[in-house]
Amino acid sequence: MTREKIIQLVNQIFIEQFEIEPDQLTPEKRIFEDLALDSLDIVDLVTGLQQKFSIPLRENKDILEIRTLNDIYVLFEKLAAEHPDIIAKLNQDP
Amino acid sequence: MRSALVFTFLALSTVLYFLVGIIPVLIALCLPKKHRGRWMRYIILYYGLWQIRVVFRPFFKIEFRPQPDELTRQAGIYVFNHRSASDPFLVALFGKEVIQIVNGWPMKLPFYGFFARLCEYIDATRTDFEQSLAHIGDLTSRGVSVMAFPEGTRSGNQSMNHFHSGIFRIARELKLPIYPCAIAGNERLPDRSFRFHDDSLIIVEQLTPISADEVAAAPTAYALKQRIHLAIAEASTKLDAEIASRIRI
Repeated sequence: MTREKIIQLVNQIFIEQFEIEPDQLTPEKRIFEDLALDSLDIVDLVTGLQQKFSIPLRENKDILEIRTLNDIYVLFEKLAAEHPDIIAKLNQDP
Repeated sequence: MRSALVFTFLALSTVLYFLVGIIPVLIALCLPKKHRGRWMRYIILYYGLWQIRVVFRPFFKIEFRPQPDELTRQAGIYVFNHRSASDPFLVALFGKEVIQIVNGWPMKLPFYGFFARLCEYIDATRTDFEQSLAHIGDLTSRGVSVMAFPEGTRSGNQSMNHFHSGIFRIARELKLPIYPCAIAGNERLPDRSFRFHDDSLIIVEQLTPISADEVAAAPTAYALKQRIHLAIAEASTKLDAEIASRIRI
């Protein structure tokens, strides 16, 4: 899975579930300060990411280190390498 | 000087109000919890109206622009921007039986805290999400609305801080309407150091309500809070411009 595909899928969550304008979604944006998510919103974000990527995240400690959008992209690049079977399914989706 | 005068008026009028109102307060204290809460909420409502319509009158003018009654009949969540410590008084303008969600310290104040607890106000710093959900569900089923300031703290100026999403999550879970409201002109009445300046006009405007169906249809609490934040920010900016132009005239 390419970084571009990961960015596309992650950004889809922010656009569809959080109604954030696409032009706001640049990698350096800080999740809390710039995008105004709070700890409760993070629950929705994690749920959205789990559903989109079909990867369990609740026990993932790296998720606690996320500060920026780029951190999410990097985390999923790592997870994509660890879960090739799931990612292969996603790659088949348009 | 002005601040000393306002606080003297506030203190004296509070003593006077509760001297006159001591009998209803004593009766309320003898009632079962649910009835006591209702009595206390009305006692506090009339206290708020007494302050803003009578006591503050010599110092500044307050304009209130509500929505028609038929649009706000259902108990729901009133959401405000939060610039000043006068905001919790101004919500009395709505004339409804309400509780407020407060940020810890008002519950600890010797006098106000006592009444806040009797009114069943929610201390956001000591109440978890599930408790708040159950409490608000119970109150709204009895026709009591909730007044919330999701910024969590006073901005002290014309800007708005980010909203916390908890109250929007509760509105979605309970399928409650949201009544967004903008307050402008009171950022220095008083300022963050509790000094009253010479500003002379406050406007409280209720914006278009968001129905329970619209609330439930929002994809996330975040989407809802951002929509409402934007609506209140735009409305308060317009009100600031109007106040500035009217004061210049």
